[in-house]
Amino acid sequence: MQKTITEQNLRALIDLLVKKGTRVVGPRRAGSITLYEPLASGGELILGELPRRSAKEAFFPLCENILSFEKTTEGVKVADVDPSQFPETVIVGARPCDAAAPGILDAVFSWDYKDKFYLERRRKTTIIGLACTSCDDACFCTSVGLSPADPRGSDLFLTPLEGGGYACEAVTEKGEKLLAEFPQLFTDAEAAKALPQAEPAGEKLDLARIKSWLDGNFENPLWAEISERCAGCGACAFVCPACHCFDIVDEGGETKGCRRKSWDACGFGKFTNHASGHNPRDAQPKRYRNRIMHKFKYYDDKFGKTLCTGCGRCIRACPVGIDIAAVLEEISKK
Amino acid sequence: MHAAHKNHDFEPKIAAFVCTWCTYAGADLAGTSRMQYPPNVRVLKFPCTGRIDPVFILRAFQKGADGVLVSGCHPGDCHYMAGNFHARRRFAAFRQLLDFVGVDLNRLQFSWVSAAEGGKWVEVVTGLTERVRSMGPMREFKELELEEQWSGKVDTPELQEAYEAIS
Amino acid sequence: MIDLAKKIEAPATIDITAYAGATEAIRAEAAKLLTEGAVAAVIGYIPGRRNGTAIPAIVTSPEKAQELIFSPACVNNLALYLTRAKKEVKGKGRLAVVAKGCDMRALAGLMGESQLKREDVVIIGVACAGVYGSGADRDAPLAEKNIARKCRECRVHAPEGADVVAGSLPPLPEFSPVEAEELARLEAMTPAARWAFWKEHFSRCIRCMACRSLCPFCYCEQCICDRNRPQAVEATPRPAGNMAWHIVRAMHLAGRCAGCAECERACPMDIPLNLLNRKMARELKELYGHEAGLEPKEKGPLNEYREDDDQSFIK
Repeated sequence: MQKTITEQNLRALIDLLVKKGTRVVGPRRAGSITLYEPLASGGELILGELPRRSAKEAFFPLCENILSFEKTTEGVKVADVDPSQFPETVIVGARPCDAAAPGILDAVFSWDYKDKFYLERRRKTTIIGLACTSCDDACFCTSVGLSPADPRGSDLFLTPLEGGGYACEAVTEKGEKLLAEFPQLFTDAEAAKALPQAEPAGEKLDLARIKSWLDGNFENPLWAEISERCAGCGACAFVCPACHCFDIVDEGGETKGCRRKSWDACGFGKFTNHASGHNPRDAQPKRYRNRIMHKFKYYDDKFGKTLCTGCGRCIRACPVGIDIAAVLEEISKK
Repeated sequence: MHAAHKNHDFEPKIAAFVCTWCTYAGADLAGTSRMQYPPNVRVLKFPCTGRIDPVFILRAFQKGADGVLVSGCHPGDCHYMAGNFHARRRFAAFRQLLDFVGVDLNRLQFSWVSAAEGGKWVEVVTGLTERVRSMGPMREFKELELEEQWSGKVDTPELQEAYEAIS
Repeated sequence: MIDLAKKIEAPATIDITAYAGATEAIRAEAAKLLTEGAVAAVIGYIPGRRNGTAIPAIVTSPEKAQELIFSPACVNNLALYLTRAKKEVKGKGRLAVVAKGCDMRALAGLMGESQLKREDVVIIGVACAGVYGSGADRDAPLAEKNIARKCRECRVHAPEGADVVAGSLPPLPEFSPVEAEELARLEAMTPAARWAFWKEHFSRCIRCMACRSLCPFCYCEQCICDRNRPQAVEATPRPAGNMAWHIVRAMHLAGRCAGCAECERACPMDIPLNLLNRKMARELKELYGHEAGLEPKEKGPLNEYREDDDQSFIK
């Protein structure tokens, strides 16, 4: 039986979860922008906006401690961070482009080395996805095979209905558990019509064709043409739901400190700088090439998936107007 | 010095960045003359105030200083001719910046103390220490040091303890 | 009658038809320079895929020069591409650059810092009435609501010292100086309130380094903030390191920043970084009468001194 929930009850659900001690993360006003952040109450949830950063940070934090060390009289004391302390989390209002990302990232974080930090957070997180009814000219999820109403990656998926409220689809067991836990908030559907979904303008891209061009064009003048203008910041990677490169650094003083894992970006000149001083990606076009290759070739080669959900954040964030959707379209025509 | 030392609830940590030619020698003179000044000050010796990067001051606050003193030769006395003139401009700008981000400038003092001014060294250090003591600990940077982005936050008892230990 | 006269003097929106003339002039000049072989490349703007956007372009042929435009979407400071941080571009040979008045100030600064020789660059100045702010409505005419904050207080609409000037200025509306007002509001706060303001903003920082990467004056080959032996500033995007990074950034730009506000525009987290730059610029003007970017000056205010400089803060 189809279930529905009113907006009021959705906010009440957040309140109940927060009261229970669950960390609820959702789009929330942060200064002049919207970000996925822990919600203190249902009233804080922002429903109409795509947050500036993706929801990946709920699994893959911007920066986290992985161990701490301290010099004592008995030697150096090292303490691991215990992932069992990570909080149970519910992400509310994740857009399909954000909800789909962890499903793509699971492959790399559980491949040869099982990243216990990522996997433990992933295990403890339930995602309530939300279909999009509007988009802008940077959105291109349909071009990379997703859609504004795609429940992929969500545990519970909400579709806005005409006259308010949301249709609820339990996609996974976690979603069903949530429905069963708060039955009073959900009602059986009266078959209300869903609001029309958003329609991103871009044509669906032939990702196989793009990949086959990438297979043979590691060296191509196109790379310089596209990315000579690239300023070499990490904005694109940091707002991306699928970029997952990180750096590990030790920080602290002479007697104690922490080992920290934080986001890194292949656009940075220092990203591939060797200790010897040699840098295999010594120019910006080589770094930008890696960004495209990693997303549309290497990840596909290794895991059979594309590392892009078409959220368009990198397009909006790029200070020099590099447009990945335009780049892909150009490649697909070659 | 020790006999007269009063017990206080709060002993501020003062980092003093001094030039080796004037203020360091001045502090030395204070010591050899058996003058008394608060032991709260940690002296860091530099060749010249011109070598003292604003980042050092920032770092001192970040690493737990409650007050910072920068002191060197009087204008015209610089061992390197103009190091303190350059420093003077740099610190004039830097203190405005710190003020703008919200650091109380009462915690930051600049002085000229010559090699002959052991008495002035005592005065400056005592004045700053007592002023900072009355202001209480510099909480801002210490609190910031313990903060995490929400996504990386693990509320362990150790972290809670560190947080409570600030004041 | 008087009201009517006022309205004519100060229109509510900017008539951007003048920008079309600038586009024509830029195309003609770029084509001429490239045909003559006077320059290897022209750095200008071309339209982006999305509505109302323009992107930097490095144009090397007269045909491609016909794609160059000038519009309120031409927000970037192209002086960036003339710095040593962009070796690939600089290596092409002699360059021409399209520069608005604010970008010209960065060029003057770079010349003063011996990063650029006047004779090595052809400057195509543009008479600019203003550009879009970030997140602005790009369908509406350029007006109070969607103009960049820096343009509201611009005093360099007409570029001086360029080789050619493209376009002409339309009548300019009077805008309230929101940035100056914000600066005054902050200065009137208590230190604790200012700390809270910046802490809130800096905690959003993700250290994508867009502010550094887009700054024409952040051309150091080794940034002090990338060093880890010893580490001056924490590299991780935690609130403590973020605060330190932005303080160090502002200090290193003090007396050099010419106010193009690219740092603020580039910031994906909307941190009002130009307030810090503005504050430092004003302090250095008040203290030492220095204004960055008005002319190439070999020494900035923090590289020189006077024996009678103010030292009232030194006790």
